[in-house]
Amino acid sequence: MTALLTAYVLMWPVLVLGILITIARGFAKDAKEAREEGRMII
Amino acid sequence: MYARHGRSSQLMLAGSNVLGSVISLTSNFIAGGAIIAMLSPLSFGAGILIIAAGVLMYTLWSGFRASVLTDFAQVMAMLGAAVIIIPAVFFLAGGPSMFAEGVANGNVTPQQESFFSSDAFMNQGAPYIAAVLAYAIGNQTIAQRLFAVREDLIKPTFITATVGYGGTVIGIGMLGVMALYLGIEPMGGDINNLMPQMVGTYLPVALVALAFIMIIGSLSSTADSDLSALSSIVMTDIYGQSVGRKNVNPKLMLLIGRITMIVATGLALYFATAKFNILDLLVFVGAMWGCLVFPVIASFYWKKVTNLAFSLAVVAALAVFLPVRFTLIPITGAWALVVELLAIIGVGVVLGIMSFGFFGKRVAVIVGTVSMLATLPPSASGSCVTTKRSPARWWPTRSPSWSATCSASGPRRTSTSP
Repeated sequence: MTALLTAYVLMWPVLVLGILITIARGFAKDAKEAREEGRMII
Repeated sequence: MYARHGRSSQLMLAGSNVLGSVISLTSNFIAGGAIIAMLSPLSFGAGILIIAAGVLMYTLWSGFRASVLTDFAQVMAMLGAAVIIIPAVFFLAGGPSMFAEGVANGNVTPQQESFFSSDAFMNQGAPYIAAVLAYAIGNQTIAQRLFAVREDLIKPTFITATVGYGGTVIGIGMLGVMALYLGIEPMGGDINNLMPQMVGTYLPVALVALAFIMIIGSLSSTADSDLSALSSIVMTDIYGQSVGRKNVNPKLMLLIGRITMIVATGLALYFATAKFNILDLLVFVGAMWGCLVFPVIASFYWKKVTNLAFSLAVVAALAVFLPVRFTLIPITGAWALVVELLAIIGVGVVLGIMSFGFFGKRVAVIVGTVSMLATLPPSASGSCVTTKRSPARWWPTRSPSWSATCSASGPRRTSTSP
């Protein structure tokens, strides 16, 4: 039970880290496109 | 809404959003005030003033563009902090051994230990499923963000936002789970204090500062969206549909939008001084939007939902919801059975609509019917008495509320107000 609860508590920060990396990569790609086209990102 | 139904349904949705956004602003100011009061020498009053002034200044200056730009920076800070803070608190508070010790010390009940706790589902899960479903459709702050997303990125944005938001919120909820096993009581009996209390108790100063940034960032992000939504509603749905309908003055429109932001901030500051329970406020707003959202969904697929039908449906829903929520009529006897029956139908409708979105009509009807049958009490006959529930020690929890307990020939079953 302890192992299950530990995994349950720690799985959320790992999931959020994955999302954070996804957003950062998407932002870097969009920022590069915007810079090449000479416009603001939004 | 104006194009689909007419004036009254448009104004009803606009009115509910004005109330919802003011309540949302209030709850964010309360959260900011609580953390500033707990982690700095400043008072709660000074805390809510600092938060309100900061958010109002940049939103007043640049409106929705400022809201979107700061939202991005704030969400990155929020996700980054969640990744660091949750494991940090976990290991600094004792790590995996806290669970065994918590059970040994009797800090948790069997219901709290269970991953499939019916108490947790009925008191937290079910109201939030309905509330979040209603938020997604009825809330202007969600709609305005949707329109800000590039068309080719809607699907990946939806998936990323859903998983990221869910993961962050549930992840931060783990601080409540840890507090439960550690036997920590919220300071002053105020649930709003639990998170800053956990952070302040277990983390070193550098990580406390990180948590502070995360919380201030997340509540500013919500507050600036509420201010943008409020100004947009007053500018387009009230000014734009009345005085400005034939002769719009853009400068006057902008001035009205900015005055709306200032008035809303003042109102939210006034309400924040009452230090309401944040969870109670948010569940109330979700349920209120539920009264409006389900007629909206019905109108997508049923042409008989006219302006009059929509308005009557909303008024009827509010007429039932408000007396139940605030126990204006004691929930006993026949009234308790009516409330119980409506709650059972509500379970079927909510789960049916969610299934319809993913799997279509046939599956939705089956899921709705099965869930209603599963929610039915073992026996429909019996007498009902009203009891006062004490707050369960399952954090985050709600304040004590009245509920009807119907004793029948089968096991006892408790219905809770939405």
